[in-house]
Amino acid sequence: MPSEHLVLGFDTSAAHCAAALLSGERLLTERLEPMTRGQAERLMPLLEDVLAEAGIEWADLTAIGVGVGPGNFTGIRIGVSAARGLALGLGIPAVGVTGCAARARLAPGATVGIPAPRDQLYLCDAAAPDAVPRLVDRTEAGDVLAEPSPAGLAEAIARIAAERWRDVTAPPAPLYARAADAAPSRDAPPVLLD
Amino acid sequence: MARTLTILGLESSCDDTAAAVLRQTENAPADILSSIVYDQAELHVAFGGVVPELAARAHAEKLDICVREALSAANTELGDLDAIAVTAGPGLIGGVMSGVMCAKGISAATGLPLIGVNHLAGHALTPRLTDGIAFPYLMLLVSGGHCQFLIARGADEFSRVGGTIDDAPGEAFDKTARLLGLPQPGGPAIEAEAQKGDATRFPFPRPLLDRDDCNLSFSGLKTALLRLRDKVVAEKGGLTRQDRADLCAGFQSAVADVLAEKSRRALRLYMAEAPTQPVLAVAGGVAANQTIRKALQDVCDEAGAAFTAPPLALCTDNAAMIAYVGLERFRSGARDGLDLVPRPRWPLDRISPALLGSGRKGAKA
Repeated sequence: MPSEHLVLGFDTSAAHCAAALLSGERLLTERLEPMTRGQAERLMPLLEDVLAEAGIEWADLTAIGVGVGPGNFTGIRIGVSAARGLALGLGIPAVGVTGCAARARLAPGATVGIPAPRDQLYLCDAAAPDAVPRLVDRTEAGDVLAEPSPAGLAEAIARIAAERWRDVTAPPAPLYARAADAAPSRDAPPVLLD
Repeated sequence: MARTLTILGLESSCDDTAAAVLRQTENAPADILSSIVYDQAELHVAFGGVVPELAARAHAEKLDICVREALSAANTELGDLDAIAVTAGPGLIGGVMSGVMCAKGISAATGLPLIGVNHLAGHALTPRLTDGIAFPYLMLLVSGGHCQFLIARGADEFSRVGGTIDDAPGEAFDKTARLLGLPQPGGPAIEAEAQKGDATRFPFPRPLLDRDDCNLSFSGLKTALLRLRDKVVAEKGGLTRQDRADLCAGFQSAVADVLAEKSRRALRLYMAEAPTQPVLAVAGGVAANQTIRKALQDVCDEAGAAFTAPPLALCTDNAAMIAYVGLERFRSGARDGLDLVPRPRWPLDRISPALLGSGRKGAKA
């Protein structure tokens, strides 16, 4: 039984599955697989590979960290749902880490803009990396931090989770930062005469 | 020795988040230890139908909570389980993915076997869960998303004898309710109005009765309803409550007639196989409609088949039926890996040609 706390961090918020395993401060293993589809099939086997490579069992984990976005809606739901299932099954805390907080950890003080559809960015507040970022046009954002490697992102998520797992009060929830596309019904009801 | 199995089921393929715990000793009836359903009706009410993205958002944040509640209501712990069954399709893919990922997380964490279940098999095997019906039986699956006749021959063996070529009847009920200013879900609202109405006043078509097969169509009924409504509105400047009740009665009667006549034809095909204890079972939300039930009962009486409809809570989406399919499949040795693929489309009958969505992505259901 290792004496250091073991924390597994992972992220599927864009076109990848990325994971990193920490023992205390030390990075044991990490894994990155770029993919535009198939995260739901690949994520769990990839996490098992990460653990196996380090000779760790699921039951050895102290906590889980997961990227909650913003990013691809389906991707962040895949990560969050897996993390919540793992937390339930293992009886350990899962920590939701925003894309802003993870990037701020990699580049403290930088202006962070996370790619969004239609040439927009989720612009993070450097002073409040856990806050909901603003959706802005790319041209409006000015110079932002270049996108980090997803493996680095997973490691940052694991490091933040390693700091916060004791204080977790709520399960991870997706940070969409953008409303769902949904329009009210166009069927107008008829006038009632009586 | 008879083996007792305890299975956790998860369901999230449309607008209900559900979890259930089922226990069965071999050759004895299964016990539903708990069946928890969180419905999302309020979330979708302003949109007049289920919005896939909103449904997916709700599932992702409720599934694990629902599982905890189901375990606690069943007075069980994860350690008491033998396997985890989860809906892996067909359905709204965002919700299906959340369910599959949550189930995979629990499975990886506990080492419990994972079994991906076809949602339609859940409905189709429910008569075995509730009434212990023997194969082969004829199944009419009739809901907001589906309409098909299946001969169930085994837990994993279904022959489709017919189905809708366009909309499901539940969808048509919902649309009709919207067009008449009635609340959602449309089924119960229209049934209540229809009781006050004259089903013979408005001429509704009986689609596809001129074709000798068991296929159905409901989109024309929606158009007919709209035309008849607009005609009255053009004459009077609106609808009276009586007009509305008569439109509901006429519409409901057309749906019931079509389902009954096509059931008669499906029964003829099924009875030709000389089943020893012939049964027509119905499942899905539309099976709650009393006029439709009565029409199906009459058709069965005429054909010499028994008629059965599971209790409403097990007719509509739930996870007990998913756990039950998991149980039957577990006993037959089925297991899935952590690479289980969530599928938006997954026809129960893999042999019959597709009626719906037969394009690039393959048959829908």
